[in-house]
Amino acid sequence: MREYREDQPVDFAIVGTGAGGGTLACKLAEYGFSVVAFDAGPYWRPLEDFASDEMHQSKLYWTDERIVDGENPLQLGSNNSGKSVGGSTVHFAMVSLRFRPEWFKSLSILGYGADWPIDWREMWDYYAEVEQTLKVSGPINYPWGPKRPRYPYRAHELNAAALVLAEGAEALGIGWTATPLATLSAPRGLAHPCVYRGMCVIGCSTNAKQSVLVTWLPRALEAGAEIRDLAMVGSIEHDSRGLVTGVHYLREGRWRFQKARNVVVAGYSIETPRLLLNSASGKFPQGLANSSGLVGKNLMVQANQAVWGISDREIRSYKGPPSLAITEHWNYSDEGKDFHGGYSYMSQGPLPMLWGATQSSKRGLWGQALLDEMEKYNHQVGLKIVGETLPQERNCVTLTDERDQYGLRIPRVTHSYSDNDKRLIAHSLRFMRQALQATGARDIWDETDDTCHLNGTARMGFDRKSSVVNADCRSWDIPNLWICDGSVFPTVGGVNPSLTIQAIACRTADRIRAMARRGELITT
Amino acid sequence: MTERYPGYNVLNKRNSPSWNDQTREVIDARLAIDEDFHRFCDQAEWRALRAICEQIVPQPAHHFPKAPIAAMIDQKLYSGKGDGYRDARLPAQGDAWRKGLAAIDAEAALESGKSFCELGQEQQRAVLRKVQKGEVASPAWAGLPAQLFFAKRLLHDIVTAYYAHPASWSEIGFGGPASPRGYVRMNFDRRDPWEAAEAKVGREEEARRDNEHVG
Amino acid sequence: MRAARITRRQQDSLTSLHEAASNLRQKYAVPDVLRTHVRPVTTSSREAQWRNAAGRQLNLGAALLSLSVLADSGIEHYRGSFQNRAMYVPLGVSALALAASLFGVLDTRARSHVLRDGLYGVAAMTGVIGLGFHGYNILKRPGRFSWLNLFYAAPLGAPVALLLAGALGRGAEKVREDRSSRILGHPAGQTLGLLTSAGLAGTAAEAGLLHFRGAFQNPGMFLPVTLPPVAAGLLAASVINPGNALRRAAKACLNLTALLGFAGVAFHAYGVSRSMGGWRNWSQNLLGGPPLPAPPSFTGLALGGLAALSLVDKEQRSPST
Repeated sequence: MREYREDQPVDFAIVGTGAGGGTLACKLAEYGFSVVAFDAGPYWRPLEDFASDEMHQSKLYWTDERIVDGENPLQLGSNNSGKSVGGSTVHFAMVSLRFRPEWFKSLSILGYGADWPIDWREMWDYYAEVEQTLKVSGPINYPWGPKRPRYPYRAHELNAAALVLAEGAEALGIGWTATPLATLSAPRGLAHPCVYRGMCVIGCSTNAKQSVLVTWLPRALEAGAEIRDLAMVGSIEHDSRGLVTGVHYLREGRWRFQKARNVVVAGYSIETPRLLLNSASGKFPQGLANSSGLVGKNLMVQANQAVWGISDREIRSYKGPPSLAITEHWNYSDEGKDFHGGYSYMSQGPLPMLWGATQSSKRGLWGQALLDEMEKYNHQVGLKIVGETLPQERNCVTLTDERDQYGLRIPRVTHSYSDNDKRLIAHSLRFMRQALQATGARDIWDETDDTCHLNGTARMGFDRKSSVVNADCRSWDIPNLWICDGSVFPTVGGVNPSLTIQAIACRTADRIRAMARRGELITT
Repeated sequence: MTERYPGYNVLNKRNSPSWNDQTREVIDARLAIDEDFHRFCDQAEWRALRAICEQIVPQPAHHFPKAPIAAMIDQKLYSGKGDGYRDARLPAQGDAWRKGLAAIDAEAALESGKSFCELGQEQQRAVLRKVQKGEVASPAWAGLPAQLFFAKRLLHDIVTAYYAHPASWSEIGFGGPASPRGYVRMNFDRRDPWEAAEAKVGREEEARRDNEHVG
Repeated sequence: MRAARITRRQQDSLTSLHEAASNLRQKYAVPDVLRTHVRPVTTSSREAQWRNAAGRQLNLGAALLSLSVLADSGIEHYRGSFQNRAMYVPLGVSALALAASLFGVLDTRARSHVLRDGLYGVAAMTGVIGLGFHGYNILKRPGRFSWLNLFYAAPLGAPVALLLAGALGRGAEKVREDRSSRILGHPAGQTLGLLTSAGLAGTAAEAGLLHFRGAFQNPGMFLPVTLPPVAAGLLAASVINPGNALRRAAKACLNLTALLGFAGVAFHAYGVSRSMGGWRNWSQNLLGGPPLPAPPSFTGLALGGLAALSLVDKEQRSPST
């Protein structure tokens, strides 16, 4: 790996190496820029470092303290965080979905949320690039949306949990499909295909999972980028003209400074606003890039409610990737909806710790009742949504006065569902209950309070008043400060965001190259 | 209730291709946890914690090895490793536990003058049910919402500790560690020969035989 | 090591052993199945000889197909946990078809055998019934006749291999027995040539389907979807429109296809070795990795095709009455 000096400015210092930062680091390095990408977590070697154990693998999560409040406080740390090189893609469920095209103009076409300053047709090409890079295994014909190129690899065999979703969908007369997944259904170079060990969300020790760690980052290193792991960036420095000059970061016990001509913040929806707010200065007392006051605002979760039941058949949902089948029916059909937005739902395969936590914390079971219910583990079957929630300014990331082990102020994450969100959730629970019932499942119950991916908090938009960055992920306020991760989403849609984050990173890299060629990059 | 997976012990797979070196190391360490060892809790807290764990997860007497749940929680609290979030209404995890254990003891004493661990089984359960519903009377709960503590801290920590232990995996028929070998048969009612066999009514011995060959 | 002294008595018994062995060799000799020229004796016995040679070669093709079916259905139905009792049937039937075929290969008599004929009939019928079962398996799954089920449900091609084994075997018997040697109203060589041509094309289609499922991740995966179809095409062409150049090309391609069957096993063995855990994880990778027993079907069909070619050749030179 090439290494850069701290006192010589690199073209780009990128904070975060997940779906946004890792992808961008690769593309920019390949375009000839000098790049140093920082990550607070370690650079894992999955084949050597990963155990088949839920508790041990929590080492992949961001488990530093964060305060949660609001009417519906979030649960953070596992399914919506990552403290590793490669970010949360190291333990993501690999679900690689495109947005419904209308979502890029949901305000003007569908009448809710906000418009994106990017056209869906442009995104369609970037989606294809990412799907190629991840060798996404998907169905031959995707049932919804405009035509897309064939997925590079074929869909995986369905497990019983996925077949239950299919049965339910067919009984209710809606479409379903094998989920496009970023895990190999056939060998790729030296990488093994998936062995259906079912532990995807605690890290893939087969290396079949096509995370940022094993796809973009090796290419980034090849192209001369440096990945600086175990490096926690605490603040961004700027000069008297208001241009950023580099980042302060803690590594091996001491604070250091890396000079850079451009800084890209890619820390996801909590750490990105936290870093911008923690970098407040005399010149920017509200934090960097925050003249709109919107940094940290409009945090959007995705609803992750589920219905669970017991099947007479053995399901053993611990086998295979957890979400092998999906229906996007309620993303693409707006018929009879009493809410804005959409949701997809997928089959599930919770591992024992997660399943125990679900039965106890969520359902309130303990004692013999808990053991009796847990004993039905191999017969449980569930459907779970990824549901769109609407942007609200009251849902936000702010700073508390408490400090963490780095001496940095701890973030406070405030979240409440809107009435629209609640109607969407109620609709999904009703519908999935019918679907599960149609498969003969019994003892059905609703899990009503789970959430998954986070987005927003530094939205992109058309002007500096109503957004933090422009379509190119460039800060309106500071022209050599960029934000490239899920926090730029103006709306979230009802699909997992990782593919869209990577597509935006690819687009941003192309835009940066074009601007550099025209001499439009402003550097110190 | 008879066992659903008679004779199944996930640890029999330890030397099979389902386990790799990393996993063996991690699980060996977990199995080596001394169930009586505690560093975070003082004696009173430890007695209360153990009694609570027994109630939340009443492990079958015939189980071997038993999951040392209280010691696992003590270890977690001593390490200070968090979950990545804290409900603003609750103190930090260590403080929450200290406060909560003391409050449960105080709640028990309120009625009987005894500490929680000295109560009978049914009395202990009655106290825990009150805490779960938030129907608590002791002033020791000041600043600690009982209901929230019970659901988000007490239940969460105890139950996840138990289901992180191989003893529980054998009980629920989970395949356990799976790398390099994963699974082949994914359809309904199918098991690989290295998975637990479920006892069907009248064919329990068949399942036991199959489970003896799991490895 | 010191040479042992050999007594006269021992020498005598050795000599008699040699004699016995050469007698046996003559009686059960496997002629060079790829060579069609035979010693000129009388016209009728010459014809009987080449007919028999072709028959035995067809038996050999049927043997390889049966072996492939036996091993493949064994592994795949074990994977399917023998959920249905009927899943044992193709194992038994293909084992019997294999035995019958080996018997046929060793049998130099220019006659068919009722036992072989019967077993081949049973094999063919089992193939047809199996096709029905496999079709039902596909259609009962959610998604019905979809790519996903074609990829992962019971394969349609597998029972057809058993049907082809039976058909080739029946052909072998027919060729030996029937002086006029006509099958389905056409000269035997023609019918068998077209049958094996279709079989090769179908087997290539199945390899294509499964290699498409594997995203043709290794360039070698293109071999079974290119070479056998060319061989099948040339075979069909030279049956319909005989000519020396075409015939030579068909023969060359069929020989290569026969080799491909063995090379395929090697490729697939490599595929198993490079799956997660390699051969140490055989209990998963033999089932989940590329199927070892599948490629020899190509060899079996190619041998059948070569036999058909030589039949066509002879039929032309000595048209039957």
